Amino acid sequence: MASGTKSKGANKPRGKSNSANKARRSVVGSARKPKPWGMIIGMIAIIALAGGVFTYAFMEIDAKEKWVVSEENKDPSENIAGVVREDYEAGQHVSGEQRVAYDQSPAFGGPHDNAWAECNGTVYPNPVRTENMVHALEHGSVWIAYNPDQVKGKDLDTLKAKVEGQPYMLMSPYPGLDKPISLQSWGHQLKLTSANDERVDQFIKSLRQNNYQNPEPGGRCDAQGTGFDVTNPPPYVAEPPAKDDPNTVTMDGKGATDASAEEQGGAQTPPASGAENPPATGAGTPPPSQ
Amino acid sequence: MNRTLVLVAALVAVLLVGAAGGMLISTARTTDDTPPNAASIDVGFAQDMRVHHLQAVTMAGIERDNTSDPILQGFAFDVESTQLAQSSEMAGWLTVWGQPQLPDAGAPHMQWMSEGGTHTHSNGEGGKTTGSVQRMPGMATSEELDKLRKLTGKELDVFFLQLMLRHHEGGLEMAEYAAEHGAKGYVRNLADKIVQSQENEANLMKSYLAERGAQPLPSP
Repeated sequence: MASGTKSKGANKPRGKSNSANKARRSVVGSARKPKPWGMIIGMIAIIALAGGVFTYAFMEIDAKEKWVVSEENKDPSENIAGVVREDYEAGQHVSGEQRVAYDQSPAFGGPHDNAWAECNGTVYPNPVRTENMVHALEHGSVWIAYNPDQVKGKDLDTLKAKVEGQPYMLMSPYPGLDKPISLQSWGHQLKLTSANDERVDQFIKSLRQNNYQNPEPGGRCDAQGTGFDVTNPPPYVAEPPAKDDPNTVTMDGKGATDASAEEQGGAQTPPASGAENPPATGAGTPPPSQ
Repeated sequence: MNRTLVLVAALVAVLLVGAAGGMLISTARTTDDTPPNAASIDVGFAQDMRVHHLQAVTMAGIERDNTSDPILQGFAFDVESTQLAQSSEMAGWLTVWGQPQLPDAGAPHMQWMSEGGTHTHSNGEGGKTTGSVQRMPGMATSEELDKLRKLTGKELDVFFLQLMLRHHEGGLEMAEYAAEHGAKGYVRNLADKIVQSQENEANLMKSYLAERGAQPLPSP
């Protein structure tokens, strides 16, 4: 018998009518239908395997690229909850006597001192003048500010370990900070309560030397010869600068040593509020090359 | 019917496995790795801008060593460091692309900017020539560099600012072109950052010149 071993009819004697034979065969045929179970199970296994590989591949891509800066992922910090972003014009300089009326505390962009604070894994024991710290941000560093009344001991050591010896990192106490910890990179800020928050590392990974987010790729962190003395840095001043003080520079760069507001190019984001505003120290000479 | 179903299922399974395998491979490489060729905008920009940047590094180094003005010393150090780092970044691209680090010595520059000057200039220098040149705009001559090396005091500061301002403005055209027409996103990004930061620095130098009662050199 070639087939139908499971069919009871197969054991019956031969010689039945044709129609009976046909009927039996049809019974046999329908009984064979659920037969390819093995194949179906095999298919399901293959599809499940493929699905597993898909999921694995997606997760791999996600994990790999989530914090990696690339053309497709210019600001990985978009994956971090709580990051505050602002657009700031780069390249506006103030002198050591001037102060900037920053719009944020701690500041994370805007006019800044000619000299940048050293940012080669520098842990400052004392609060440092914000105008110098902001210039370090422009060069692509991440600044960890902490409230010295709230962050001490083990927590302080945890933060220090992320800074010491790490290029493009700097850290300083910031008295009166409204949260225990505040992370700054140019145009980005994240305030946190715990030094063990995983977002500390994520923020650093996303923004340190991020050439898409930092205005001056290749900016240096060594500060010798700039007028900034890392062993005796200019101190932080808690008092906000007086509005009517001639040495106060506003966020639009009014009073800064820069004529960038005269630029008629459309690339700058902030309004050209200082269009007719000559640099404080210069005689307002018109740019002759234009 | 049964056979058709099995065939379809098998086909789907094979496709799924193939796609899944493809995805696994793509986890290793997700971007377009094709290197720009020797005649491309990306290569031309990287090579020519390296030449341009490296002269700025030279000039800034002279000022940093010889000036007695602390503000300009810091400024020169900033320019020197930044442009050296950017030049090194471009050198890295050229290495990966399998291209020479520098353009052929003596060959004309800016041949890669050959699309006919249709681009506009945000710095108001519209109508500049495009196409190949023997000396890139803003580049100082050997005589000018010698003079810079010999000067001291305020004369040094003024001449440095004049040379560097002209240099920055001269480089803008190349950077703007690459920022717009470069093939690689990272090339366009760096070119754009060069445009932005050098425009800012050019304005800064105009203020510094004005403070010293000096005028810029004629436009490159």
